[in-house]
Amino acid sequence: MKIIPNNDQYILNHCTRFLTRRNTDARHNFGQYDPSDPRARICEAWRFPIIDSYAGAADEDSHAFNKVTFVYPADVAEAPDQVGVTGTFANLYELIPLAPVRFLDAPTGYFAVSLRIPKGRAYRYKFIVGGKAVLDPVNPQQVREANGHAWSRFFTHLYTQPLSFESWELSILERLVDHIMPFRTKEGQDFLQFFYRQLDQQQKEQQYVLSYRLDQSIGIVNFIDNLVAREERHHLIDYKICLSMIAGIIRKRRPGIEPARASKEIFIDLYGEMASGNVMDWDTSKYNDPAYFLQMLRRHAFTGAFSHPKYGGNASALGWRYLADRFRDAKGATLFDWGRAIEQPLGTNPDYHG
Amino acid sequence: MAAKLDFDVIVIGSGAGGAPIAHELARQQKSVLVLEKGPLFLSQSQATDGLSDFKRDELYAYGAEKRLTHPQVENRQAAFFSSHVEPDINDEPHIYRDANGKDRATIEGYTAQVIGGGTQIYGGVSLRFTERDLMLRTFNAGRTDMAGTDPAGDIEREARDWPLPYVELEKYYCKAEKLVGINGEQGNQLKPFTQKDTYQRPLAPNSISRYAYDGMLYTGKGKGPGGSDVLPYRTPLAVITEDHAPSGRTIISVPDDIKTSYVNRFGDPLGFKSSTWNALLAPIRNAPNLSIHTNCTVIQLASDGTRVTEVRYIDPSGQERLARGKIVVVACSAIESIRLLKLSAGLDSTGFGRILDQQNDLLGKYFLTHAFGGASSVMPERSDKTRSLDADWATDYCATDDFLKAMRLWAGAVVYNNTSDQALPLALGRTHSATDLDTLWHGFANDFGLIGQGMVDFIDNDMGRGLSVSFMANQVPQKDNRIELHPTVKDKWNRPVAYIIKNWHSHDKYLMDTLALECANILRAGGNATHDYPIRGFGGVYNGENGIARIANHILGGARFGSDPRDSVLDPDCRVWGFDNLYVTDGAFMPTSGGANPTLTIEANAFRVADKIGGRL
Repeated sequence: MKIIPNNDQYILNHCTRFLTRRNTDARHNFGQYDPSDPRARICEAWRFPIIDSYAGAADEDSHAFNKVTFVYPADVAEAPDQVGVTGTFANLYELIPLAPVRFLDAPTGYFAVSLRIPKGRAYRYKFIVGGKAVLDPVNPQQVREANGHAWSRFFTHLYTQPLSFESWELSILERLVDHIMPFRTKEGQDFLQFFYRQLDQQQKEQQYVLSYRLDQSIGIVNFIDNLVAREERHHLIDYKICLSMIAGIIRKRRPGIEPARASKEIFIDLYGEMASGNVMDWDTSKYNDPAYFLQMLRRHAFTGAFSHPKYGGNASALGWRYLADRFRDAKGATLFDWGRAIEQPLGTNPDYHG
Repeated sequence: MAAKLDFDVIVIGSGAGGAPIAHELARQQKSVLVLEKGPLFLSQSQATDGLSDFKRDELYAYGAEKRLTHPQVENRQAAFFSSHVEPDINDEPHIYRDANGKDRATIEGYTAQVIGGGTQIYGGVSLRFTERDLMLRTFNAGRTDMAGTDPAGDIEREARDWPLPYVELEKYYCKAEKLVGINGEQGNQLKPFTQKDTYQRPLAPNSISRYAYDGMLYTGKGKGPGGSDVLPYRTPLAVITEDHAPSGRTIISVPDDIKTSYVNRFGDPLGFKSSTWNALLAPIRNAPNLSIHTNCTVIQLASDGTRVTEVRYIDPSGQERLARGKIVVVACSAIESIRLLKLSAGLDSTGFGRILDQQNDLLGKYFLTHAFGGASSVMPERSDKTRSLDADWATDYCATDDFLKAMRLWAGAVVYNNTSDQALPLALGRTHSATDLDTLWHGFANDFGLIGQGMVDFIDNDMGRGLSVSFMANQVPQKDNRIELHPTVKDKWNRPVAYIIKNWHSHDKYLMDTLALECANILRAGGNATHDYPIRGFGGVYNGENGIARIANHILGGARFGSDPRDSVLDPDCRVWGFDNLYVTDGAFMPTSGGANPTLTIEANAFRVADKIGGRL
């Protein structure tokens, strides 16, 4: 396991604003926490551990890794002697020590370590504090093993496996997103097919994102799955309730058909009804306003199509490539030259490193 | 080793008002401490691993959705988005009073909490104010032509001349332009320049800007002195385009590659944007007499008599510390500076508070921003708008005395085109029909018709074809427009938050309508040869959903400077009346808000004050 030399300034830059405070109100709970969860007092707890870009030596394949910084905050007066982290990114039970973080002449109570960790994967970990294994007190992501044992979890950039949704939920979400975004128009389909077809096997393997299933046209659903696992965890519940309700409604309208395989017309009707805020058989006691869900889904779908691919959508920059392909001048040169500004290997900028 | 406690100068805030002073006095070998609330975010060349804390990444810059939880505010449960350098408004909201008298939390009125402050993420428009901007009392004395829009005669009563003639500020404009690193053109500006070559060469404008240029040419015809034409000029922008010797920054091999749409609202990972950090502080950051403490929040200025003796702050671990300075400069953005003075007064009402009270009741009053707005349209031909910095062309024809008299306006404005807005896809969705920073994504999320082919049409229409022209104008000073401490809402340190009470004057509305029409005329004139190109929309910000709260991140006034201690909070040197060693140098000092973006003027004035302080040490 490669430990990245760090400085205290970097750690404080990325944690003071979120963690240091005196007020103890549950100001940051928008429904994602149990009311007694101390994370509700912390701003953007999802930022921990800190997932950042990695730059190693010239002979390293730096873009295959993230720099992941684990932070354990303790009360200065009661700070433990030693804090370590152990997790599936290294040999389990290998204890990696966190170093105390100082400001000027004094300890801050923060302990931290930065590690080089491969992209595209999820990991479980725990802190070892004074000899005891504890969950990360900040990171809200946790997983429970079959035996009931809980771990803290994080995932690195370009993660493409479902974290939040069951496969039937993903399938319905895919249909809804298809209806919103332009990638299922004829032109959009032609573009995607052309893009995928032109890749030979080696190119496919070299593609920045390897494991997208082609049925997820450009990874929007994966983006949403990741987003509600982390940044917008408070919206996971919206999806859970509404997707379940939508599946039920489609089943009622088309008995005997798997909801995600229902006709396009079914989804067109449903979209229109949701937009109007009035869906037949929608249980408003479970979820008051279907239009609200649709607004959120629209924002998420658009964001997933066009945000940086590291967030799990816009796979292989296909959203950007679509625009670049669509907008051209008379000579055929693109009028959305996104790659000029973006780091390699995704883009072509020689100076910006991401 | 114990941390150093005593300094010649303590500067609170590292943005436009603070960094020039720290820079100047550190260069004079004074011991300087800069206290900055935000983090020390580095550009690639400053970071040991070559990676910047700023990214060309829309989602990183804009932030995820959060929800307002303050039970006291009318917009509780509303969605908000704060960028990675803006404060979280559950932690530190600004509260304003809406048109119905209800309190709402807002992200408006914040610039950025990061080393370099708002200059890290601003668009970089670096215009001078005009001579007229500094003399609005004189200009408006005895005028009778504005009775319709100013029936109570507020303008004549409330306008103030700056206690500082343009010629004195001009020296410091030159200094700031050179030291900060700005590209642009002096020619065709209606402001006097005494030195040539204060700017670097601008890069070629984006092709879509030619419509704005053509429109400005047309509308500026015959609007100059003696019926001469007022011509457009390349907007001065705080981005270097050549090697910049004063800051030691060097340019990349293909300078045109500096043009990306990740400028306005983005910190620059390559450090070409001339933030006060990149330009003024980073080059001297290792000087032994300069200390920069980031992630530190100042909570109190403590005084003994007329001297501020201690600056108390919370360090990154939450522990309280203090530092002592012979001179203390407050420059943490006007609203927050006023708040700090008021909080300090509340913590020591018989000392610090009494001295402030003895002067007058003006602290926090005459809070100002800009009257701003513009027009937008979809131009005939598409361009790659990602190849731009921000504003390409500007014109001064709306700032001439003749124009102001003809239009019955109290003060003028600069007009420029925004090239880079909505150049990137997320920006397109995020700002679709949004009128302010509190309603981002609303328009897009609610436009349910944007699906499938409708979405294609939306992107086709807007992307690469949208062009807007904006004006930035003086707002009428009103005593009732003010910053107070909110009676109940507290920040994450349990301190009262800032309470913004402001409204637009009837003349402001008239002025915004008038100038928005000029912007529309520019687009109409520029879009085709017959000068009747269709406009999509135009107007002033007062028309927006939360128009009352709009601040444009131009946070000015509230501690105006002047020569009469009964009529101002600061003396002409920006020293707080009643105190011997306390200065305020962010935008708070302005008695009028100027007809242009304020950053360069704040920087120039801070260099001026640095000379005054340097002379005392």
